[in-house]
Amino acid sequence: MSKVAPANPLEMLAYNISLMIEDNQIVYIGTGLPMVGAILAKKTHAPNITMVYESGGQDPLEGEMPWSVGCPFTYRKSPMTLEMAISFGQCAIGYVDIAFQGGAQIDMYGNVNTSVIGSYENLKAILPGSGGGNDIGSLTQKSVLVGLQTPDRFPAKVDFITTPGYLDGGDSREKAGLLGGPIAVVTQVGIYDFEPVTKRMRIKALNPGMSVEIAQACTGFELLVPEGEVPFIEPPRDEVLEILRNEVDPRRVFTKMPGS
Amino acid sequence: MEFMYATQEQFDRLVDFKGAREYHLSKSRVKKDKRMSLGEAIDRFVQDGDILAETGFSYVRSPIQAYFEIIRQGKKNMVSIGSPMSNTSYLMTANCVYAIHLSYIGVEMRGNDKNFARNIKTKKAEILSIWSHGSMALGFKAAQLGAPFIGSKQLLGSDMLKYNPYVKVIENPVGLDKSEPVVIIPALFPDVCIIHVQKADRYGNAVIEGPAINDIALAAACRKVIITAEKIVPEMSIRELGNACIPFWYVDAVVELPYGALPGCCPGCYYWAREWWEWLVRIGTPKEENVQDVMRYWIYETKDQFEFIEKLGGIRFINHATRLMEAAQANIDDSLVSFDYQEVIPKWD
Repeated sequence: MSKVAPANPLEMLAYNISLMIEDNQIVYIGTGLPMVGAILAKKTHAPNITMVYESGGQDPLEGEMPWSVGCPFTYRKSPMTLEMAISFGQCAIGYVDIAFQGGAQIDMYGNVNTSVIGSYENLKAILPGSGGGNDIGSLTQKSVLVGLQTPDRFPAKVDFITTPGYLDGGDSREKAGLLGGPIAVVTQVGIYDFEPVTKRMRIKALNPGMSVEIAQACTGFELLVPEGEVPFIEPPRDEVLEILRNEVDPRRVFTKMPGS
Repeated sequence: MEFMYATQEQFDRLVDFKGAREYHLSKSRVKKDKRMSLGEAIDRFVQDGDILAETGFSYVRSPIQAYFEIIRQGKKNMVSIGSPMSNTSYLMTANCVYAIHLSYIGVEMRGNDKNFARNIKTKKAEILSIWSHGSMALGFKAAQLGAPFIGSKQLLGSDMLKYNPYVKVIENPVGLDKSEPVVIIPALFPDVCIIHVQKADRYGNAVIEGPAINDIALAAACRKVIITAEKIVPEMSIRELGNACIPFWYVDAVVELPYGALPGCCPGCYYWAREWWEWLVRIGTPKEENVQDVMRYWIYETKDQFEFIEKLGGIRFINHATRLMEAAQANIDDSLVSFDYQEVIPKWD
């Protein structure tokens, strides 16, 4: 028997984020769990990735978990920092491979809302706004959406498109003139991709213990299910969990379950 | 356009290329000692009704002590812009700012700014236009470049286009593919910005250490520029390194203001007052009366940054914050400090 406790849902989420990253990529990092996932990837299967940040930090030395996107750990002994306009510009001109984005709502075509619940005319809740989310999601070759999956947070249509995914599906993203696009959605339930023709969200693989029924029950629209058996994600190996717990997020800021 | 508070003139002035050029042409070129107190700089160069650009990055090298002085002086009817602009919600509560060009107001992984949400919900302030960080940054950059606009690829397909009367989608008239949609972003010219820097000389030549965010562009774009500096240094020490990024002729006032970015952090100088922010987010902002309490204690009943530091814990706080920054920047060994702090303050909401 393993002495290492199995991954909790947030740790599994961080692990799944790390799996999206391939070695040698340039990775655009936001705050929160994507940062945990990226640092985990760097400390495990992708040691040669280069991290860049919207506040301008480029390729910092490793250190503590940054307290903010503007934290000194995002430009720790960076060879240089870039102004914000230029930092986003490198996503557009093809120098960034992958980026991550969270949101209050993610819909069936991968559109993301970080602006408002309801509408600005009829407010239910006001959220912080785009920040760099729209820029990253509009310009980067591959983006990965990260969210806690519930029917409210995964509606058929977001209340407000802050960051476009595949808009109305099909070729509507391309027609709008956008670059790149979302390749996956990572949640505590599993990993989704987008069906190539309709661009609708589709189950790719599920976390251990999950099922198609659970995934569907956590979603406000009909998920596409791949043909044949739905694969399950291998749980992280003990060594990976230990790196996550001891080196990546030792103070458990992002991977501690509320109330535990 | 119909606004609740802002005037059409305020709305138009942001993209008034000729007006900004005329203003810049009218500024004194004299290379003179521009040092003055913070109070005098805010009194003279931040006027009621100005479009105020937020600088730094939320709470990194942001001129927060100068914002506190704006609040103490009771400036009003201002419009705020910036990417990001997380200090604006307090300027709204204090009745300094009544309208914003929104890119992001929040506290990152600490969640939404409830104070901002409340100010919008109760119609204490209004949103004039909605942006992403990058698109707004390009507007400032266009101004610095002297370009009337920049064509870009963000914002396309998003609902922000419906809430941003300044930008326009066109088919790229000069691209290989003439049907390719691009967004035209106008050059943005706010009235005034305050830029906190690590070093400046008395004339206004300023050096930024760490990320400049939008500040180099904003210094060029804004009609009026106030520099607050951790240290005033001899002009020759800047000439020797040749690393100033803001030239003196953009600058109207120079304020020697050590610790001027507190309670935020200043690269090369000091780390955040993290507990202060945790307290603000978890306890200070959920209720209007709590925000008023915070502002009374930390702003209205605090004369300057030195009194602010006394309330934070005095020399002990500063010593610790300085050491943390040294370690964060790998100038001393990580093992010499602890980054632990009390991060879980119980929520009240």
